[in-house]
Amino acid sequence: MAEPSLDIRQPLLDSLLAGLIALVVFGPIVGVVLDGYSFHLESSRVAWIVGAVMLGRFLLSLFLHSAGGRGWLQRLEGGGAGVQVLPPEHRSHLRWLLPLVLLAAVVFPFFAGKYLLTVVILGLIYVLLGLGLNIVVGLAGLLDLGYVAFYAIGAYGLALGYEYLGLGFWSVLPLAALMAALAGALLGFPVLRMHGDYLAIVTLGFGEIIRLVLNNWLSFTGGPNGMSVPAPTFLGLEFGRRARDGGVPFHEFFGIAYNPNLKFLFIYVVLLLTVLLVLYVKGRLVRMPIGRAWEALREDEIACRAMGLNHVLVKLSAFMLGASTAGLAGVFFASYQGFVNPTSFTFFESALILAIVVLGGMGSTLGVVLAAFMLTVAPELLRSFADYRVLLFGMLMVLMMIWRPRGLIRISRRGFARRPGVAP
Amino acid sequence: MTMVRKGILAFAVSAALGLSPVLRADVLIGVAGPHTGPNAAFGEQYWRGASQAAADINATGGINGEPVKLIKGDDACEPKQAVAVANRLVDQDKVAAVIGHFCSSSTIPASEVYDEGGIIAITPGSTNPQVTERGLTGMFRMCGRDDQQGQVAADFIVDTLKGKRVAVIHDKDTYGQGIADSARAQLAKRGVSAVLYEGLTRGEKDFNALVTKLRGANVDVVYFGGLHTEAGPLLRQMREQGLTASFVSGDGIVTDELVTTAGGPQYVKGAFMTFGADPRKIPEGQALVEKLRAAGYEPEGYTLYAYASLQALAAAFNATGGTDAEKASEWLKSHPVTTVMGTKEWDDKGDLKVSDYVIYEWDDQGKYHQK
Amino acid sequence: MDGIFLQQMVNGLTLGSVYGLIAIGYTMVYGIIGMINFAHGEVYMISAYLSAIGLALLASFGLESFPLLIFGTLLFTVCVTGLYGWVIERIAYRPLRNSTRLAPLISAIGISLILQNYVQISQGARQQGIPTLLDGAFRLPIGEGFLQISYTKVFILVAAFAGMAALTWVIRCTRLGRMCRATQQDRKMAQILGIDTDRVISWVFVIGAAMAALAGLLITLNYGTFDFYAGFVIGIKAFTAAVLGGIGSLPGAMLGGLILGVAEAQFSGIVNTDYKDVFSFSLLVLILIFRPQGLLGRPQVAKV
Repeated sequence: MAEPSLDIRQPLLDSLLAGLIALVVFGPIVGVVLDGYSFHLESSRVAWIVGAVMLGRFLLSLFLHSAGGRGWLQRLEGGGAGVQVLPPEHRSHLRWLLPLVLLAAVVFPFFAGKYLLTVVILGLIYVLLGLGLNIVVGLAGLLDLGYVAFYAIGAYGLALGYEYLGLGFWSVLPLAALMAALAGALLGFPVLRMHGDYLAIVTLGFGEIIRLVLNNWLSFTGGPNGMSVPAPTFLGLEFGRRARDGGVPFHEFFGIAYNPNLKFLFIYVVLLLTVLLVLYVKGRLVRMPIGRAWEALREDEIACRAMGLNHVLVKLSAFMLGASTAGLAGVFFASYQGFVNPTSFTFFESALILAIVVLGGMGSTLGVVLAAFMLTVAPELLRSFADYRVLLFGMLMVLMMIWRPRGLIRISRRGFARRPGVAP
Repeated sequence: MTMVRKGILAFAVSAALGLSPVLRADVLIGVAGPHTGPNAAFGEQYWRGASQAAADINATGGINGEPVKLIKGDDACEPKQAVAVANRLVDQDKVAAVIGHFCSSSTIPASEVYDEGGIIAITPGSTNPQVTERGLTGMFRMCGRDDQQGQVAADFIVDTLKGKRVAVIHDKDTYGQGIADSARAQLAKRGVSAVLYEGLTRGEKDFNALVTKLRGANVDVVYFGGLHTEAGPLLRQMREQGLTASFVSGDGIVTDELVTTAGGPQYVKGAFMTFGADPRKIPEGQALVEKLRAAGYEPEGYTLYAYASLQALAAAFNATGGTDAEKASEWLKSHPVTTVMGTKEWDDKGDLKVSDYVIYEWDDQGKYHQK
Repeated sequence: MDGIFLQQMVNGLTLGSVYGLIAIGYTMVYGIIGMINFAHGEVYMISAYLSAIGLALLASFGLESFPLLIFGTLLFTVCVTGLYGWVIERIAYRPLRNSTRLAPLISAIGISLILQNYVQISQGARQQGIPTLLDGAFRLPIGEGFLQISYTKVFILVAAFAGMAALTWVIRCTRLGRMCRATQQDRKMAQILGIDTDRVISWVFVIGAAMAALAGLLITLNYGTFDFYAGFVIGIKAFTAAVLGGIGSLPGAMLGGLILGVAEAQFSGIVNTDYKDVFSFSLLVLILIFRPQGLLGRPQVAKV
């Protein structure tokens, strides 16, 4: 299998060194288990880990020294940067896939159980969030670590709107988008002067402030106890087994048997339509001057301003559009869960959404959709691994980044052909 | 080797499809709680208690002649995960009943799912009143309620400690704030108004600023609603700054870890807390406690609660001859059940009829005793 | 009232010096490769475990005297935590050196999940702690009240400033420090001049981890308790401190830490504990609006 000229000494040395490091790194934490003020030793676990690290390093070393490995390494390094410009007449080979996916999305709920349905709904919610943050981070290049704040505004918008104003799902849906956009503008103004990572920490602070206020303002938001959220209605009909306010539930009105999935089916349908709408709008925006301006701003702010772009308008529009998408997602999340409380809107959530955008490939719409499903479905699939779930999830994130540092899908853009008869 | 690989492959495939190999005959019971995350210690207590109960029930013939099989459901005390795992237990694993969850903020949304799915759920440790106050028929509790707990503590502060200047501190979480609020209300009813009412942040360890403020307000009793993770450092920093006020808290600090978090038994000495009469001291449970101790496990905190929860479920299913949730709920609400924690009865809401909160005191050896 | 005010100052300064020590890790890494190392809070958490393990091991060998115990544990913790810093950089960040700015950020989030879960699996989810090693306190009567400072707090203040002084000496006066500064100013130029920048970056991670290890030991001594989740809250606070002081600036990190600590303590003393985090984040936003580069940071000049 190995080439005859293969040098076995180097891999062996590598493996020994790795083993030594693994011993020092893993030895104390894995081998000495604290127990009150005393401890007990678990040397066999250390031996297993060190052995595994040595074997892994040996095989990796062997592989990287072989011809195939070297080629692979080169391919990994020469990733190529920037946007890929395709010829104007380019048609993707995967064009047939899109209608197929749509068809699957339409047919799917007829076969899925409730659990699968809820997982997919969660996935779609994250698709919305990813698409929104993609405008801010991926296109406009503004690193936002407090994106979850707008998500919380949407979710609490529904809960508070119902509690104090008697608003329902349908009236809050546009209102939440509006409110979140306003909040986005509010955050946008002071941070216009900052760039890069100062922006990151200020947005992080903003996200934390929103969460803390939701948590502490007991008389208004219910604090940590959270608030219950009304079930969505369809033309005023409820989906529960019994209607809450004396109305007629959906299944009785239409004379069909009660189905506990009905509520989720409804959310799924509306959510799917919203996602498709957002996808469409985003696809258009990117080709419009405003979309081009976002990307130009991402590449070089100073050059943009020198060219006469109004950076205030460009940044604010990115913030507001991104925020309003998160507001929409928040409304869906609240009605999906039937309950909101501040623990759903921690910094980790922001990090997860950011991970979706980066994993998907900054600015790439398809990539974001793929990554959103990967990151929401993966933890559910990993449930079978019980205790090791989060560990594996973290490893997945790191490995994905090393394997595809520019995300799953590279942004590509079709070039423009001069139309005949138009002066150049 | 090939056998092992085949096994791994089969495991991976079944994991990927989200199917678990299930024998039709088993009675599946979900054990939902924080098996990972900052509260994983309580999840382990649940799991230990429930698995011991399952083993014991299976040894004596199971439920309706069929063996009990437990399924772990991890919610990490996050409402979002709680809903997901609840849906999974109901829809994918098709459990007959659920023991869980732990954090009230997880139990509340998850119980809606169980209600929709027509499944009976019993929580060994969620004490928030809202858990059973929402008119769900199949939601039970094995523990008391926060409002009862806060009242007992407040009465103790007024009657025994003769507290005049009482500070009420909580950890801004559903549980901690719940018991703190009920204690404050009861104190007010008894004519003592809290001189300070503030929240601290979970996950932090430095409460020196708060302690200095307590000192400035000259308090003689501090009531804390929260968990041992914050109670320990708070106690230590109080004593380090020379604040000698009495310390009273709830069942969130019932674990030997309080001593570890406080930096030694000298700091926890004299702290009071409310807790159900120690389940380890109840005569019915002695044999079990001995058995667990012999196996090297101290049945702390909610271990026996989880054990008793499964016993109650088994009793109800056996009596009604099936796993129908409605029948079982009706039966539980009208019949007493003998458990390792004594005989228990439930009211129409699913709460225990008799709450048995008493006051405990920590000694200088790092142990707690019923007062 | 005076006694209370002074006590809050002391509370704030001890807390702040610890924030400052951890903030150094953020600020150095940012200064040299322009990346927010989100796993740094977790490195601190690892060091807290390591210091407890070191103490337990040394105590089981029969070591009794406090200075020897502390010194041995410090050495052990700093070395092993430093190695953690090196390994993390080597595995998760170096392969991403030349890719987009956000790729290492995501891989850092992944690493912090891994570290949390790894410690939880190997050490269990329970709260860990060490017994109180240094009992007793200074007690100064002031007016009607008194000021009480435990010996541990005095030790923390002294050790944190000693650590800072040592680090300043390393960066100012040693060869490694010069190489660090050169790499920070212009990585490509430094490379051309024969500096092995990869090695310098590795060293920066080791130094950052070592400072976190010092903080881990001090915090463990002071509060006596920690769990596998402890890195998160303190990590965010330290990061805030680093930005407040001007990210990339060493004295800035320490100053930012102290300001943040004192602000938190005084605010919760005078106003309300519930909103102290809201206050510290608002303070940060305010300062950044008027000084977008932080207190001691240099404004970035970009050329087109």
